[in-house]
Amino acid sequence: MRRRTFLSFTALSAASLLATACGIAGTGPTPTVENVPTPSPTMPPPTPQRTPQPTELVQEPIDLSKWNPDYVREIAGTLPTFDTKAFVSNVVPLTTTGELYYWYIGPAEPDPQITKDLDKQFWETWSSTYPNIRTEKQSLTYADMLDKIRTAATGRAAPMVATMPIMWGVEFAAKGHLAEVQLEEFGFSESDFWPGALKSCKWQGKLYGVPTNNECMALIYNKQLFRDAGLDPDQPPQTWEEVVTFSKQIKEATGKYGYGLVARLNHGNTPFRFMPVVWAYGSGAFDEAEDNPTYDKVLINNEGGLAALEVYYNMFVRDQSVPSAALTNTNAENTDLFFAGQLGMYIGHPSEYAVMVDRAQKATGADRERAQQLLDNIGYALLPEGPVRRAAVFGGSNIHIFADRVARGGKVDRQAARAFIAFRCSSEWSIKAIWTTSNPGNLQAFRTTWMKERLEQIKFLEVTTAMLKYGVPFPVVPESTQIMNIIIPEMIHNALTRKMTIKEAADDAAEKIRVLMGQRVS
Amino acid sequence: MRASAPLTESKAPSIPLLQRAFQNHSFVALLYILPSLILLVFVVGYPIFYTILLSFYSTPAISPDRYWVGLSNYTDLLRSRTFWEATKNTLYWTIPSTFGAFLLGVPAALALNQTLLGRSLLRSVFLIPWVISTVAAAYVWRWLYHSDFGLINGYLMAWGVSQRPLLFLDSTDLVIPSLVLVNVWKTFPFVMVMTLAGLQAVPSELLEAASIDGAGTVRRFFAVTLPYLRNVFLITFLLLFISNLEHFTIPWLMTGGGPARSSQIWVIDIYTTAFRGLAFGLASAYSTLVFGIVLLFAILYVRLLTRREGVEG
Repeated sequence: MRRRTFLSFTALSAASLLATACGIAGTGPTPTVENVPTPSPTMPPPTPQRTPQPTELVQEPIDLSKWNPDYVREIAGTLPTFDTKAFVSNVVPLTTTGELYYWYIGPAEPDPQITKDLDKQFWETWSSTYPNIRTEKQSLTYADMLDKIRTAATGRAAPMVATMPIMWGVEFAAKGHLAEVQLEEFGFSESDFWPGALKSCKWQGKLYGVPTNNECMALIYNKQLFRDAGLDPDQPPQTWEEVVTFSKQIKEATGKYGYGLVARLNHGNTPFRFMPVVWAYGSGAFDEAEDNPTYDKVLINNEGGLAALEVYYNMFVRDQSVPSAALTNTNAENTDLFFAGQLGMYIGHPSEYAVMVDRAQKATGADRERAQQLLDNIGYALLPEGPVRRAAVFGGSNIHIFADRVARGGKVDRQAARAFIAFRCSSEWSIKAIWTTSNPGNLQAFRTTWMKERLEQIKFLEVTTAMLKYGVPFPVVPESTQIMNIIIPEMIHNALTRKMTIKEAADDAAEKIRVLMGQRVS
Repeated sequence: MRASAPLTESKAPSIPLLQRAFQNHSFVALLYILPSLILLVFVVGYPIFYTILLSFYSTPAISPDRYWVGLSNYTDLLRSRTFWEATKNTLYWTIPSTFGAFLLGVPAALALNQTLLGRSLLRSVFLIPWVISTVAAAYVWRWLYHSDFGLINGYLMAWGVSQRPLLFLDSTDLVIPSLVLVNVWKTFPFVMVMTLAGLQAVPSELLEAASIDGAGTVRRFFAVTLPYLRNVFLITFLLLFISNLEHFTIPWLMTGGGPARSSQIWVIDIYTTAFRGLAFGLASAYSTLVFGIVLLFAILYVRLLTRREGVEG
């Protein structure tokens, strides 16, 4: 072989190897650099102090004890103006220079256009508000983000700031990957957020995040099927016992499924629909439904836990009034069944209505008429209650600052991070950034004209918003993902397949949770 | 008169070291594979090494640190009921999947080796399951199997074969056979193609001679064709077995390991242990154990392959 040929070949191979290693030919989102790089000044951490709100905000505080659909409508629009620029300038001066690396779950291709437009508007407004903070953002998908952040944090390449779904933060806080924060340093106080949302940001009594948005689900039902089954269409089930009864009645009278039970393994849809039942009966994985949970006692196999499991057992095994594929269905299948008029009721987000409107518009001929009839007969109701409480899973996201030692470059620009969090969690962007999908984390946002506009645009929003009062976050322990996505669904499967009795399944789950938590629980 | 020294006694000019090296075939061959080797070391070798190392540590979710536990992860694994459940499921998934692919693939290859009208078209059609993305196939079959709006149940009930939908994916008894069927459908073209290639090596004169001697189709297959296909079958079987042993996509997408863990195979268990349970040490031990088992089969495959090449050489 000629030497020159070999050397050329080697050079080409090395170049391609280098290119692959640098990810030039790789996949993944490309960071967007918004501003010209400016060196980040070294500044001492600011002394946290409550930044006074603009005077128009200091009005009647939001009374959470009155929270219901009527109250939500009543307060919307009572705050006519909100000057975001003035608010954030009180937190961090607008002339601040700095650098920010930010990761979040951005709009996806199938999302409504308004979501994409508002995301674009957010970044444009941020850039114009803080033109000297160079921002590099990465928009990731829900499926990708957790593993990417874990890898990045382990490899000391985490972003400075990230917005993550509510259940994820505690894992990073427990490992020391998140920086402790105080609400005052962003211009907020505890009264600006749901207590349940703040619970999800705390680890061992310290705060590691700020809520950006929260949502709870509601009961969606088909009024026509209710009529056909001899039920009052304006009286949705008020208790879980009634859900079982109504489900059976719908199945027997119409042949259609009553309740959209979801019990797929390794899928978040399952605990989001089962845990409200568990909490309603006074149980839980631990005491997460209490005001000040300690997570030191496993409760899943107490009387309430057995009763909740029996609700599912009765619908699936005894009455067979739920979809036969419930053990492998996700909620997407329930939406399909509901839209086809084959399902009486299921648990879903306010966005479900928008999805059905979208589908109806695409339908043709007789299908379109059927779709319109369904839309005219959709009802939304609060989730049923149990003997102890009414409950829903407190969903949403929190925004976190990563610790210096795991952040890319080894140093977080705290000023830039404060400015961004104040901006993102302000009344304006707390609501605009989640227009179709969720609710603002900042309670003051419910009083803005934007909330009034949303209530007019998004049908049934006041119902799902009213459920926030009953929101319970999943246990704020790092093992929560394992418990909620594996142990609880396995417990349901063991009972519903009759591999174990209800008591055995619950005891098995309790033992698994104890083993998982080690010495930390009894 | 003194004779001049013969030319052969004069010293040969010295060859530079690099040039000598390039004249060595083994060295040149090594240089050719060096880029790939470097990539393999970083992308495959280091992760394997690190996984084995991590398998001796505990990585509690509550702490950023890891703690040396020696062989505890391995003993805990071998003592756990869920590991043996997953092992049973894995064998139940792997063995029928592999044999099933042969049951379909070999007859297909034998048929397509004949002179048939539309043979080329048929060969292409039979390749379709193989070329379809596994993810797409899993989703489509999930819909076909769906007990509420699946086509299969729809037809079974319309034809009166069944009064109630069959719970293909929701029954602990039917789930693995249902998944195996999908996997067999997906992989039989591979067996078909390998067998077809092997059939080209069967001398047609031998088959003609056997036919003249009065041997029927079956007798010709077993007496003439099969000996030539034996090595091909062995190698194909091993490759497919290894692939099925570490398969993830079909069970994960179609059932998530359910119902009640009845389709939870090794690879799904490793994934959930690591990325749901955050027990990276335990998952590494699990992974190392499975890797060791698969490696045994891989070594067997390489030995068979080299033995075959040695025989042919």
